[in-house]
Amino acid sequence: MTGRERSAYLFLSLLQARTGTSFVARIGDIPVAEIPEMSAAELGHRVRMTERAARAFDDLRRDFDPTAIIDGLEQRGISAVTLADPEYPERLGAVPDPPPALFVDGELPASSYPAVALVGSRKASVSGLDAARSLGRALGERGAYVVSGLALGVDAAAHEGALEAGGPAVGVLGCGIDVVYPRSNRRLFERVRENGAVVSEYHLGEAPLAWRFPARNRIIAGLCDTVVVVEAAEKSGALITARHALDAGGDVWAVPGPPGLPECRGSNKLIADGAGCIWDVPEFVESVAPEPPETASTDEETSLSVSVPAGLPEGEAAALAGVGFEPTGVDAVAGRSGLRMQELLSALALLELKGYVHRDGSGAFVRRAGG
Amino acid sequence: MSVCRAQSLTLSGIDALPVEVEVDVSAGLPGFSIVGLPDAAVQEARERVKVAISNSGYKFPTKKVIVNLAPAHLRKEGPAFDLPIALAVLAVSGAVPAESLKDAGIVGELSLDGGLRGVRGALCMAEGARREGLQRLVLPVSNANEAASIGGVKVYGIRTLREAVDFLCGGNEVVQAVAEESDRSESVETAEDFADVAGQRFARRALEVAASGGHNVLMSGPPGSGKTMLARRLPGILPPLTLDESIQVTKVHSAAGEGKGALIHARPFRAPHHTISTSGLAGGGSNPRPGEVSLAHHGVLFLDEFPEFNRATLEVLRQPLEDGHVTISRVAATLSYPARVTLVCSMNPCPCGYAGDKRRACRCSAGQIERYQGRISGPLLDRIDLFVDVPRLTRQELRGGEAAEPSSVIRERVAAARETQTLRQGVPNSTLAGARLREACALRGDSEALFGAAIDRMGLTGRSHDRVLRVARTIADLDGAGEIAVEHLAEALNYRRSSFLDR
Repeated sequence: MTGRERSAYLFLSLLQARTGTSFVARIGDIPVAEIPEMSAAELGHRVRMTERAARAFDDLRRDFDPTAIIDGLEQRGISAVTLADPEYPERLGAVPDPPPALFVDGELPASSYPAVALVGSRKASVSGLDAARSLGRALGERGAYVVSGLALGVDAAAHEGALEAGGPAVGVLGCGIDVVYPRSNRRLFERVRENGAVVSEYHLGEAPLAWRFPARNRIIAGLCDTVVVVEAAEKSGALITARHALDAGGDVWAVPGPPGLPECRGSNKLIADGAGCIWDVPEFVESVAPEPPETASTDEETSLSVSVPAGLPEGEAAALAGVGFEPTGVDAVAGRSGLRMQELLSALALLELKGYVHRDGSGAFVRRAGG
Repeated sequence: MSVCRAQSLTLSGIDALPVEVEVDVSAGLPGFSIVGLPDAAVQEARERVKVAISNSGYKFPTKKVIVNLAPAHLRKEGPAFDLPIALAVLAVSGAVPAESLKDAGIVGELSLDGGLRGVRGALCMAEGARREGLQRLVLPVSNANEAASIGGVKVYGIRTLREAVDFLCGGNEVVQAVAEESDRSESVETAEDFADVAGQRFARRALEVAASGGHNVLMSGPPGSGKTMLARRLPGILPPLTLDESIQVTKVHSAAGEGKGALIHARPFRAPHHTISTSGLAGGGSNPRPGEVSLAHHGVLFLDEFPEFNRATLEVLRQPLEDGHVTISRVAATLSYPARVTLVCSMNPCPCGYAGDKRRACRCSAGQIERYQGRISGPLLDRIDLFVDVPRLTRQELRGGEAAEPSSVIRERVAAARETQTLRQGVPNSTLAGARLREACALRGDSEALFGAAIDRMGLTGRSHDRVLRVARTIADLDGAGEIAVEHLAEALNYRRSSFLDR
């Protein structure tokens, strides 16, 4: 691999970020290394280019200095992995328009470990978040990489689960890796950087523009062997990730949700279309990350035990029986359980503390499946 | 004698201060001037007084007339000095015996034909007159009932300037106004009763707790879930006003010109619109009058669409929520209005209103919801103890269930809980903090263990820690328990704030 090729890919990466169009897919048999030396007009003969792209090309070529860029990155401990490098993830290289370069802070998943993407709604329900977290935790215990988009909701919950279990996490961004977006994820962002990697195809400082998020989904899919959709509506970015994974020959799994619920239609439909159905966390983990690195984990928390456990005080048992797997308002629970409001409220708080139920953002209660 | 004096009163905050009106008539070019820090409305009294005197059939002296309003350092405002000025002028010309003005407080605005118009703050004036030792209070008939309701001073309501002159000369009998016998127990029953609320047992319970401990409440729920309806019923379950409180409430309303002609026995409920200005909320203006927070004194201040309120406007609520009064500083003077309120706020969970709703999808992005919820002023949130989610009910939920308790039954429990608090610490639980909080809310054994677990698992911060303790204390008081037990603490945990973006 010549240094010229590396810098050519770096050049293409900057060009793509600026124009929003993929050149890697179009250059065909042109030797990549020569591209930065060609003029826009020359290249325009062989590759279709808009006027704007040609202008951007010339602008960029004028003061393109690969050594300075790479030195700058190295000083901050960030590596640039281009298509010309052997470290470039194999599966990602096979997608129709692979990112010419990845900027990585941390370590990319090694091919010897399984990598699983957990994606889903930013506004997931409590049970969705619970599922994401326990999947993340179970995978983390097996040392599998948990890859996600570092967005709110399922993405964040999945990473939190993985980090809790001490597993590696990889966050793929739709902006420069020094840009924290959304800002409320700042702490998680730091932890992912320390325990895995933060990856982006965009150079430092690039803004989180709307079109960059769907584009980064192909990277999430390309870094993993398996994509899990936790909770997705019918038009969800998570489904784009699933499609990329299918295109690249990966596996797609989905967590089933209640039938007909708009927030779960996308993920449920995936199951109907043949995606793997995650009906049990240990079973799933066993099939995607079969060999536990050390001793087999026998964590009760990840099992989906759902019966009303014995030994609960009478009031709490009655309250628990009134809480469903879909969010249930306090008044509805009161109606089902037949308890007086003040008895019910104290029973619910005790159940919440014992981990049987969870209160969501609208004050409704849900049964929890496992830890 | 060319100088005559009449006694009058002017409002400062909700108290009336005595003002002496001195009139001097001397030889010289005919003229009429008013000195003693009068505002524009007082200056205009010259024209009204002159015309009203002539139109009532008396003669305005064609000499140099000087009116002094003493004490001269106090800023005088409003048209209430018309009547005392006119009577003092007439006293100089001998139409009114000067001695008859000595023991009478006089206020009233004149119209050009000599008729009298009502003034703002009649009740406060009556109280001021009583304090100053004036025997009689002469004021427009429309204010008489309101002024008489306080007692301790003879109140005479008159209609015209001529009637006032005749009365002071002893020529006619003006009926002394007496306080209307208002049945207190009846006026406490508001039109809005909890018996009419279908479902919403959680919110009802939360409001009962709020009323018992004087806690401020934030209700969150989609449009149409009944937040306003519930809030309107809160005054009805608060314990009845004491006589002292009634007088204070009436004084504030009187000072704002919203007097009802009798003592107010029902706890006020004020629901200002979210476009309200700072001085509208806190009080003030060039003619200072009490704002909404003072008009809600001893009652409920309801802020609907809480996040839509201007942040700077809401900041002025910090002082009243802490100290129970608002201080307004102007160039001329510093005033203080009482403002001890129970704050009830309501908000939608997100900009479109339907986050978490079962039947309608929310259109907001996670970022939008976060921004919307972050718009609320932090310092104000710290003063809210109860956070209640009010869901929209389904038809079955609305129709099913047992008949709801009427407000009067709830009010008895609330009054008992308040009584317990007064005996124990002299103040409602909502004001407990620091050492007094620790003393009143000591936890033992398993409640302590439960609380420890709650702090770890629910991520309670220092502030929410105190909040839960205060609320638990109130729940225990409602239960008649001396110590906070596990079930009280557990119930209190339900009133913490739930975050929609639970991560």
